[in-house]
Amino acid sequence: MTDPSVVVLLLAGALTGLVGAMLGLGGGVFLVPLLALGLGVPMRAAIAASLMSVVATASVSAAVRINRGLVNMRLGMVLEVATSIGGLAGGITAAYLTQRQLFLVFGLTLFTMGVLMGRRSGRRNVIDDLDTDPGVLGGTLQEGPVTYVYKLRRTPVALGASLAAGALSGLLGLGGGIVKVPILNTFCGIPIRVAAATSTFMIGVTAAASASSYLSRGDMVLPVTAAVCLGAIPGSLLGAKLTDRIDPKVLKVMMAVILLAVGLRMTVAAL
Amino acid sequence: MSEEPEPDPGRPWTMERAIEVALLGGLAVSGTLLAAGLAAGRADLLRFGIVALLLTPLMRVAVVTVAFFHERDRVFGLVSLWVLLLVGSSIGLAAWSLGRNLR
Repeated sequence: MTDPSVVVLLLAGALTGLVGAMLGLGGGVFLVPLLALGLGVPMRAAIAASLMSVVATASVSAAVRINRGLVNMRLGMVLEVATSIGGLAGGITAAYLTQRQLFLVFGLTLFTMGVLMGRRSGRRNVIDDLDTDPGVLGGTLQEGPVTYVYKLRRTPVALGASLAAGALSGLLGLGGGIVKVPILNTFCGIPIRVAAATSTFMIGVTAAASASSYLSRGDMVLPVTAAVCLGAIPGSLLGAKLTDRIDPKVLKVMMAVILLAVGLRMTVAAL
Repeated sequence: MSEEPEPDPGRPWTMERAIEVALLGGLAVSGTLLAAGLAAGRADLLRFGIVALLLTPLMRVAVVTVAFFHERDRVFGLVSLWVLLLVGSSIGLAAWSLGRNLR
């Protein structure tokens, strides 16, 4: 194994933390390829380090965002049940799939989601009429002086996406935000910022569970993991602060571009 | 950026404030342990730092669970409790195997 310096690992953590927190992701989807392909860290160690950095990033952005009323706690908890079941299923399924098959499925999924997200970038999920009943799993969103209402639509889709996100976390070592945020936004009527903040709430828990299994198996390289996490904390702090200043439309376009690029990259790596 | 909105006087403030304290506390503890462990090259500090970081999101789930039961929202309380037990047992297992593998 080549031995990337602590400074390089700190920077890698900071960069993925920044982008991850801005988009409501943990950043694992960037960090795994960066560590494994870019810095020569063994794949399992890269996944383990990435999962811990997802925990750090998610905790930072949740702490920064919580008072802004964006996180929908009930929705998050309900979906986390599906995610935790998916995580167990993913761990079992992983034994039956080759790394190439995993990359292919994952790459194509991301690519599809990038296309969906790009097509939806001009639309909004909020309801202007404040008298609308948001239901148990909906809520309200304050944007400047205006308050909007949103409702959860297509609950089975939201649960299915969470299940799949959990499975991917168990399989590939991601937090799963990259699956949940686009689906919650595109199909389930959740505004992008609420989807991102609620996903952040969940991915920390999901990643902690997945990371524990890597830790139990002895796949975690402690100094690499520590350096990446220490970089991720300030990076995500900045990212979480920046996300409020960026137009939701820009966030959606950024997310679409990243999904397409990472999806393509993973598909190519599998072929 | 505009000022932070004033927290509501009721229940959301209490729960969200507790979550914020739990998260920032967990990050401060684990960040300090990880930085010290890296600087001193001590694996034991790194291990404690990693476990502290793993427990950080779990503490948030614990706060939410207590808050739901306190509100007598039993359905969501049980949902949170399930998540807490599942993830908690997984982290507990990891911490136990770390302790066992100490050389």
